[in-house]
Order: sequence, then C-alpha cells, then structure tokens
Amino acid sequence: MKIVERLTKIDRRIIYLVLAIVVLIPLISRSPERVRVMPPVEKLYNAVDTIPKDKVLIIDFGYAPQDMPELEPMGFALLRHAFEKRIKVLALCLYVQPLGLAQKALTEVTEEFNSVAQSNTDSIIYGRDYVFLGWQPPPLIPMLGMGISITNVYPADYYGNKTDTLSLMKDVKNYNDVALLVSLSAGSIPRHWVAYAQNRFGVAVAAGVTAVSAADFYQYYQTGQFTGLMTGMKGAAEYEELVETRLNIKKSRKASEALPSLTYGHLVMIAFIIIGNIGYFVQRKRRQK
Amino acid sequence: MKRTFPLFLVFIFGILGIIPFIIPHPIVQNLDESIRNDILKILVAFALVLGLGSLLRVHMDKIKRKRQNWQYSWILIISFLVSSIIGLFGGVAGAGPLPTFIGSFHFDIQTLYENIFMPLGATMFALLAFFMASASYRAFRARSYEATLLLITAFIVMLGIIPLGYKISPHLPSFAQWIMTVPNVAGQRGILLGIALGMIATSLKIILGIERSWLGGGE
Amino acid sequence: MSISLSPWIWISALLSLAVFSFLYKDNPFYRFAEHLFIGVANGYAVTFYYHNILVPTLFDPLFRQGKLLYIIPFIIGILYFTRFIPRISWLVRIPIGITIGYYVGASIPATTQAFIIKQIQGTVLTSTNFQAWNAGSWGIVWSVIVFIGVFCSLSYFYFSKEHKGVLGVTSRIGILFVMIGFGAAFGYTVMARISLLIGRLQFLLGDWLGIIQ
Repeated sequence: MKIVERLTKIDRRIIYLVLAIVVLIPLISRSPERVRVMPPVEKLYNAVDTIPKDKVLIIDFGYAPQDMPELEPMGFALLRHAFEKRIKVLALCLYVQPLGLAQKALTEVTEEFNSVAQSNTDSIIYGRDYVFLGWQPPPLIPMLGMGISITNVYPADYYGNKTDTLSLMKDVKNYNDVALLVSLSAGSIPRHWVAYAQNRFGVAVAAGVTAVSAADFYQYYQTGQFTGLMTGMKGAAEYEELVETRLNIKKSRKASEALPSLTYGHLVMIAFIIIGNIGYFVQRKRRQK
Repeated sequence: MKRTFPLFLVFIFGILGIIPFIIPHPIVQNLDESIRNDILKILVAFALVLGLGSLLRVHMDKIKRKRQNWQYSWILIISFLVSSIIGLFGGVAGAGPLPTFIGSFHFDIQTLYENIFMPLGATMFALLAFFMASASYRAFRARSYEATLLLITAFIVMLGIIPLGYKISPHLPSFAQWIMTVPNVAGQRGILLGIALGMIATSLKIILGIERSWLGGGE
Repeated sequence: MSISLSPWIWISALLSLAVFSFLYKDNPFYRFAEHLFIGVANGYAVTFYYHNILVPTLFDPLFRQGKLLYIIPFIIGILYFTRFIPRISWLVRIPIGITIGYYVGASIPATTQAFIIKQIQGTVLTSTNFQAWNAGSWGIVWSVIVFIGVFCSLSYFYFSKEHKGVLGVTSRIGILFVMIGFGAAFGYTVMARISLLIGRLQFLLGDWLGIIQ
C-alpha cells in the first residue's frame, strides 16, 4: 500500500524528467515511421492535385512559432506539392507573427527546387510561380476584399513590389481565379474563411489545424464546408507520406520523424493517468472502509 | 450626444455590414469595399499603435516606480527599440538604408525573428507538454461515469493516432477516426449551434443599442 | 555528432534552455528570455506595421498620390488617442463604434449561413447526407447517430425547463455525446502538446548539437 501512496505523490520534476527522456530517446534512435493516410487528408491532397492550370492555390500561413511543429510540416508539404505540379501559389498571412515563418517556408522550398533546376522553366520564380502577399489586418479585409479584387486589398506585396506589376497577378483578379484556399491555422480562422469567403463568394476552403482545435473542425468537414482537413502532427505526416509516395519527392519529413517520440509520449501520458487513477481508487476504497 | 452618436454609428455601420451579403448590386458592393479598404484598414492601423503604446507605458511606469522586477522592463524596452530600428531602417528583406550585416554575420529583422522570436515562442509553449503531463497525473480522475467515458475516449483516440495503434488492432485507427467524425461531431455541433445563436443575439443587441458595455464607463 | 558553429544557432539554443529552466523554478534567465521575447515580438510587429500597412495604406495615398479624402479616416483614427485625454475621452467611442458596428453586422449573415444553416443541413436525415459518408448503408446509421447526438446535446444546454422526464433522458444522452467530444479533444490536445516539445528537441538535438541528422 505504501507503494501505491508513493505512486500518487510523484514529484512533478520526476514527471517532467520521465516525459523528456521518453520523448528524447526515440528522436535519436528511431527512423521516421510510415503512416496510414486517412480520408480527410487524402481528400485535401486530391483537391490540390486537381487544381487547373489557370487557377491558383491560396495558402493562408496562420501559424506562429508555438504552432510550428504541427503546422510547418504541412506548409512545407503543401508547397512541395504545388511547386512540383507547377500550381501557382498566393501566400498570405492574416496576423503579423506568421510572416517570418511563411517567408522561411517559401524561401526554403523554392531553394530546394531551384537547386536542382536545369533551366528557367524548371525553376520557381517569384512573381511568376508564386507571390507572397504579406499581411493586411484585420482578417476580415482580405477575407471579403479578395472576392472583389486581390490587388485592391494588397496594393503591395510583402517585399514592397506593386502587386499589379507581377506577372502572376495579371491573370488573378479575385476568388473566381482561385481553385482552393488552404488555411494553416492554430485558431478559429479556418471557420471564418468558410463563413466569410466561402459563404459569400463560393471559394473552396480546406484547413490544416493544430490538434488542440481539431475536434472543433470535423463538423465542417462532415458538411463539406472543408474540402479536406489535416489535423496536428499526424495529419502533417500523412500529407508528407502522400507527397513522398505519389510525387517521389524525398525530402526531410519533420512530422514523420517525430512519430516514434509521439508514440512513446502518448504511452507515458496514458501510464501517468492510469497510475494517478489507481492511487485515487485505492485511497477512495480505504476511506469508504 | 456622447453616447447617442456612437450608438447611431454602430447601427449605421452594422446595417452597412449586413446589406452586402444580401444585395449583390455593384453600387452596394463597391461601397462595402470602400468602407473596408478606405476606412477600416486605417482605423485598425491606429488601434495597433494604441496597443503598442499601452505596453510601453506600462513598462516605463514600472521602471519609474521601481516595482518588482523593474530591471527586466529595461530588457523589454531596449530589445523593442533595437529590433524596431533594425526593422524600420534595415527594411523587410534587409534592403533598407541601415546595413544589417557585419561580414557574414547578419542581423536583419528576419534573422532576429528566426533566432530570437521563434525559439523563445516555441519553447514557451513546449513547456505546456510538461504541465499537461503533471496536471493529467494529478487531476484526471474517473470520478463518475461521464468522466470515465471521457477518459476511455481519450485513450482510444490517443492510441488510434499513433502508428502503434494499428499494431494493437488494425481497426483501432479507423475506430478513432470514426469517433472524431460521428459522435464528436454530434457533441461539438450541439455546442456550436448554441454558441452561434448566442453570437447572433449579442450582435443584434449591439447593433440595436441594447448592449452598451463597449461604450465603457463615464458619460 | 557535429555541434553547430553558427552564433545565431547558439543564441537560439541558449535562449531555449533559458526558457526550459522554468521547469525547475522561476529564475532570472527565464525572466530575461521572457522580456526579450516580448520586446522583439513588438519590434517585429512595428516593422511590418510600418512597411506593410502605414506606408501603402495611408502615407502613399495621402501624401504621395494626393488622395485627400483619406484625411477623414486619418482624423477618425487619431481619435483613438483621445483615450488619454480625460476631458474628450468619449471621442474614442467613434472609431470603436465604426469598427464594432461593421464587424458585428458582417458576422450576422456569415454566422447564420455557415454555423447554423449549413450545420443543420449536415445534420438532417436526407439521402445526400447518407451518401456523403461513403459508407454504403452504414451511412444511414452514422447520420442517425449524428442527428440524435446533436438533438440531445442541444437539449442538455436548454436550462429553461428542469431536466426531467423526456428532457431528462435526452439531456443524459446529450452529455454523453459531449463527454465523447471532450475526450476526443483531450486526446488530440495531448498530441498537440507533445508535438510542441518534440519540435524543440528536434531543434536542440538536430540543428544545435547535430545528434539527429
């Protein structure tokens, strides 16, 4: 019984240490895991894959540093998919914090492609293949404004170039030229894209969300308001899996590399909860006696 | 006047917010676009200045009155000033008049973002994993049938997400997915409908001037 | 193992460790990192606020393109600062009223359509909804479960009548659905939080210490 009592009074720093070790060791010793792709992610992949040549993909980079481990792999996988299929991309941010991360993702993926490009046609050129529109608060303005005119909402891009001088923007006026909008967000922004942009202008919306808010978003997937849905690190790993197996793009897969650690982290959490409950029930029984 | 005029403005702009959803006529849509691009964009810009100003005021006050841990407020103010100067005069992509490199060592705003803001922000939230583990161990108890159901659902979902779940049972990941798309949707949708109805009611009360708490105190 | 020689990687790593030190107890390194974070975050915001918003939205049209009408929103925006002058602080209600009015107005039709009508459409028992599951005849069963669950969850939050009789039964069923939803949310939250920790460890072990290739 003393053991049970000890088990219910473990110091929090021991718990921290156990969790840290259990998550750390697989990162060093295990290789990336393959994952089974679930229908919501597959649907999103197919929606991006079938974007016509005369339409663009809008990616709303809505993740801040605290959401990076879950949403950054989604952003990278989406960009690799789009650039490989030569789908034109408009990137934007609805808040200031994600700007640097969006810039990082666009720069790094562009560099991945350009480092192996043989000619100008193969390369990813800013202004021709993608445009980074930047930040225009409040969120309602781009959500509604892009239904009328994208260049009116963003007269200048992130780098200060006039958007109506960029070659990509000559063929893209508003949502009518947008095949799909993917919102990578840690908050409730994807549902606002649905409520404002999709509701009023009919643009297709998909989302990549953190696991914390995932449970809230399945209802929009069920109604068809979301064309597809990626949830958390697992969702990111599934999209990475599809990009690697279907497009043969073999690059670093941050989310898949993290899955072994995630596995043991979950098992340790379950173990802690069970231990806590065992102690609780034993003590409750003793009190009842 | 001090309360009536703002309430009148809320009513007018509230109606101007609703009408474009209903009337697709170009005159209405263009007016709507003007309100957003020519008025709201600029108003929000000033609201942001207010937020920054308030933050600086709080910390300057802390330094002046030498409140607890006032020394750290200097760190905040100095780092704010340095990064602002680098960003404002060094430019967004390091293309401004202020040089942002010494040899191969760069210190433009993007570098500060990637090497100071990003790791600090990410690590602060990484602490939550530990706090969650400790809190779950201490507080998550199956005291009732409902709590037990919550716990069992959480375990199924947690095992269904990880690759090990497929090894435990090939049906476990699909079952976890089913939980997310059927009973979870049912429960969350009930909550969403309630919240949405509440939001509409509150929005109508604000537009009609019944809800006036946003006016603040005073005359 | 190849430790990074980049000074910025070292700065990032040491700042990360300073924040992690909070797990042991609050200390000056953590406080330093915390205040540095807020300072740089706001400095970053000021940069983009100036370059991406003030210049193209206000200064260029007003001072370079001569669109003098922009004086009007400029003056209304200035009214925000009357908050600091007690005698005329009521003027701050004007820009707040315009912003709040437009926002709540725009939200009414959007909320009604996206969060109520579409959600009800997804709940009712129609052949479209049965087929949307792509599960054959099981689609009918799942749709019935969703319908019952939504109805019962709503009945649980109906507090104008005591939960007795039929309402008592439906609210009991409703709370079970809500608990399943919360359990699913908790399970996913665990994944989220552990992911955040893994992300930081990937940086420290990979980019800094070079242990992970």
